[in-house]
Amino acid sequence: MAYVISLPTIGLMTSDGELIQAAATGDRSAFEDLYRRYARPVFGLALRRLGDRGRAEDAVQETFASIWRSAGSYQPERGPGAPWLYAVARNAIVDRARSRSEIPAEIPDEAADTPGPADHTEQGWVAWRVHRALEELPEREREVIALAYWSGLSQSEVAEFLGIPLGTVKTRTRAALSRLSEVLGDELE
Amino acid sequence: MTNFHDLVDTSGLAPDEEARLRRAHDLLVRAGPPPDLPPALSAAPMQASEGTILQFPLLPRRRLALAAVVAATLALVGFGGGYFLGHSKSKPTAFQTAHVVSMHGPGGGEALAVLRIASADSVGNWEMRVQVSGLPKQKQRSAYYELWLTKNGKAIAPCGTFRVHGKKTNVHFTVSYEFPRYDGWIVTAQPRPGSKVGPVVLT
Repeated sequence: MAYVISLPTIGLMTSDGELIQAAATGDRSAFEDLYRRYARPVFGLALRRLGDRGRAEDAVQETFASIWRSAGSYQPERGPGAPWLYAVARNAIVDRARSRSEIPAEIPDEAADTPGPADHTEQGWVAWRVHRALEELPEREREVIALAYWSGLSQSEVAEFLGIPLGTVKTRTRAALSRLSEVLGDELE
Repeated sequence: MTNFHDLVDTSGLAPDEEARLRRAHDLLVRAGPPPDLPPALSAAPMQASEGTILQFPLLPRRRLALAAVVAATLALVGFGGGYFLGHSKSKPTAFQTAHVVSMHGPGGGEALAVLRIASADSVGNWEMRVQVSGLPKQKQRSAYYELWLTKNGKAIAPCGTFRVHGKKTNVHFTVSYEFPRYDGWIVTAQPRPGSKVGPVVLT
């Protein structure tokens, strides 16, 4: 069985909330940064719920159009940007599912302004946060994580493939997990 | 392999730190791999006007028009393109892995291949770097291995051929297929050009 994995390619600094606020003022580069951070999580969520790549692509377009239109409604005092973006994406995906009068592959929760506690435990939210957090890792750590977790290769094979000592693979894996735990923060509680 | 202690050297870690890393590990396992982002979504949507309409340049409803533009452009540059490619002194852009595919021998064993695939370029060419190890050397001069994309277990789209030498063999291919149309990869052993699809040696 061949395993296929994808590697994100970006490093990030500004908070999601700051980018949303900047996008609300028409800042195109802030919007593009949001896109680079969240295109993959949005596509993953849409794919999981709609079960079709073509429709998931459309849902991504609708999500980001919605983010562009409604960024001004984001209120930072009500919470960080990630849950707000998740809610926008989920609503867009639900709308797409309903517009076709089709049952989505995974029945979504009722659309809401912000995700409730139940949402935070659901698989979609976990994948959303983890895939977003992966974008924060340096390239060499992302590569090791992807190979170690999802390629089907053993640690020794990862080391051989990357041409680095086995100890370095383990060191990078540990560093990556440490960084991920910092980025994920309360997700670990 | 997703056993925490197989992946992480926990020596010297305080118990609370180990527990923190383990929770991150558990979330990674639970989340699964991030999805393969299709070429149409590789860039942020464009702002079509001062209003709020956003457009992705490569989404399906616009692909036909784009294809016409690309075809016209290729027709215009086709003659001179070869000269340009053959004489350009510009440095090639760095290869950046976007997807990794690992393949093993169907019955276990030492055979292994890892494909690193870059994001598609603007017209849909996917550059890939393939490292193969553990496959036996070909006994006949006409024999070779062939990489395929599969659909429902059948070899459909040929992606390139290679012969192995030594312990590891590295080859570069570029293919132009839409990967989502296919559901797997295989490598077959081919006795000679023109022969039917040979036995699967990696999958």
